[in-house]
Amino acid sequence: MTQSPTLSRRSSSSAPSQPRKSRQRGADARAGYTFLLPWLLGFIALTVGPMISSLYLSFTNYNLFEPPKWIGLDNYTTLFQDERFLQSVGVTVSYVVFGTPLKLAAALAVAMLLNSKRRGQGFYRSAFYAPSLIGASVSIAIVWKAMFGDAGPVDQGLSFFGINLGGWVGNPAMTMPMFILLTVWQFGAPMVIFLAGLKQIPADLYEAASMDGAGPVRKFLNITWPMLSPVIFFNLLMETIHAFQIFASAYIISNGEGGPAGSTLFYTLYLYLRGFSDFRMGYASAMAWLLVIVVGIITLIFFKTSKSWVHYSGDAK
Amino acid sequence: MINRRHFLTTVAVGTASAAALAACGTGSSTSAGETGSAENPVTINYTWWGNDDRAERTRKAIALFEEKNPDIKVNGNFTDFAGYWQKRATEAAGGGLPDVMQWDLSYLRDYGQRNQLLDLGTVNINTDAFEKSLLPSGQIKGKTYGIPTSTNAFAVYYDPAKLASLGIAEPDGSWTYKEFNEFLSEVGAKSNGEIFGGTDYTGVWWMFNIWLRQNNIEAFTEDGKLGFTKDDMKKWWNQTAALRGTPAIVSEERVTQLAPKSPFGSNVTATEVTWDNFMAGYLADSGAKELKLAPVPSDDPDNLGLFLKPSMLMVASAKTKYKDAAARFIDFMVNDPEVGQIFKTSRGVPASKTQRDGTTFEGTDKLVVDYEKSIEQYLKDAPEPPIVGFGTLEASFKRVASDLNYGKLTIDGAADAWFKEAEDLIKQNA
Repeated sequence: MTQSPTLSRRSSSSAPSQPRKSRQRGADARAGYTFLLPWLLGFIALTVGPMISSLYLSFTNYNLFEPPKWIGLDNYTTLFQDERFLQSVGVTVSYVVFGTPLKLAAALAVAMLLNSKRRGQGFYRSAFYAPSLIGASVSIAIVWKAMFGDAGPVDQGLSFFGINLGGWVGNPAMTMPMFILLTVWQFGAPMVIFLAGLKQIPADLYEAASMDGAGPVRKFLNITWPMLSPVIFFNLLMETIHAFQIFASAYIISNGEGGPAGSTLFYTLYLYLRGFSDFRMGYASAMAWLLVIVVGIITLIFFKTSKSWVHYSGDAK
Repeated sequence: MINRRHFLTTVAVGTASAAALAACGTGSSTSAGETGSAENPVTINYTWWGNDDRAERTRKAIALFEEKNPDIKVNGNFTDFAGYWQKRATEAAGGGLPDVMQWDLSYLRDYGQRNQLLDLGTVNINTDAFEKSLLPSGQIKGKTYGIPTSTNAFAVYYDPAKLASLGIAEPDGSWTYKEFNEFLSEVGAKSNGEIFGGTDYTGVWWMFNIWLRQNNIEAFTEDGKLGFTKDDMKKWWNQTAALRGTPAIVSEERVTQLAPKSPFGSNVTATEVTWDNFMAGYLADSGAKELKLAPVPSDDPDNLGLFLKPSMLMVASAKTKYKDAAARFIDFMVNDPEVGQIFKTSRGVPASKTQRDGTTFEGTDKLVVDYEKSIEQYLKDAPEPPIVGFGTLEASFKRVASDLNYGKLTIDGAADAWFKEAEDLIKQNA
């Protein structure tokens, strides 16, 4: 019960550092950049270059085959009169708004259950983590489609309890719950991060709280939540960004069409259809940039609001 | 330029793998020459769409070709129809279309007019045995981009065994829309909803096109505009308004769940209105002993609006390094009688007389050939290659009709939605 490990993201800066001569520093920097070079080259050629190209293309009419024609902001203004675009925004937003918090809640709940010393915890952690490794794969999307089809295990299971919903896959009202279940099921990745965060919370805080007669709810609200808030913030940010990018499972489950009745027309799927089915790459580029901007703004808002609820150890609060 | 190519390749590769479309490899042979030898054969890539049945037949045809042409190896690859065109677009953007491809009339202009396809007039392919009226459908402005493998025509499929079990008489070969609708309703009613009458035929673009022709309207004008009005479209969708949601028509929920298989192939419906060359696929999918064909309904018994269309074409990439090998493979696929024996009518009725005469048609294959003979007197000229972007219009027609069946759109709303997209697209490509 001595110095407890800190939860600071800047903990490395407190490590003992020795003053170095500037020449040595320069050599270090050169070595560093040399090692960085392969990544840097790839980043410029495969990420920055294409991004600049797509920014240019977003102001053009480009059908993949003929040279792009400059049309200014037309793509961006057309977007907001495109009903399918607005539909794709609606679908994606409801997926992010409902899917992400549910997934994080599941991840945190399971992480707390697994954060104790019992036999076989290693097995349970692996078992809960596994779906997030395979969840984004094509085969899982196919299995999911079969499970939620007419007379599939889900339909039969619910029928056994007298709930007759029929197949979810063909029912526009049920496809979104299905996708949310699919993402919640993949809570393993944030769970592992939560687990690591929970291990960092000093046990003496809980002991002290117990002495003062605090119950589990009180402990959660007054110790776990604030102590874990940087990790929660990190997970919330990553999962939100991730959720905006859902593509593969939507593509597979809807046969690449966004059906039934447009209920799985996720933003990226519509972007893909516009670019590669309708040959409107300029339009698709505009959509991509709009997504980048919106996700950027949301990230910014998260960071702004985080000051009021995210506590880093060492902060005055 | 390099940047854009880079970008597109990246996007193409990225999205394609994200969508887990097994990437169709581009020419991997490093041979600089255009021809190979038996010791050092060239490899050409061939891609097609279809189901397992066609995959097996194609595999046999390729084996036969390789046996006869030891200097060429053919690397085959296939997907279903919807994914097929997205893959071609990604490949075209990256400059890596396969050497030889099965092609559809709907997309001939998109790629031909944009210099993605090889002018097959510049290579050696024998077209002497083709009907002269059929070849123009593969040509645009005097250049030959596609050679038809075979012809197909629209028909109503039905399963005689299912009708017999319900005590319903087989159709007599001529019906009006009203009679056809009554027939669909009867199937639904007598089977207590176990078997649906059919899928909503008003959601099929080509059936709409045929209906327009029955009313002496051309779908597209010479200058690439729409030849019909919104009212025509509403009238068409009203044909089955009373049937939607009844056992006459399979529910859209079922259609979605069964996709990519058809309800008819899944034994969920008793009829299906589509191309006559789907016979082999339907037989394989449904396991039915026998399926039969009837002409499409028409309110004018002398004008069925039918035509023979190239069911598919063979095309080559403009960028292929092996023009000679590609031409020989195409020639073989469209003319060789043994290829006819392998495919029978699963690609349609062979277009080349050499191939047709060298094929023995029995059983259901004979039904398809006989059907096309029986409607000969009603046939009109095949349509020209449709307008640029037609593939998109066809897909959105299907989608809007599906929304209509889901009750998400009214008939007016569906027509508005489709016209908006169509006008937007025509303006875009003008």
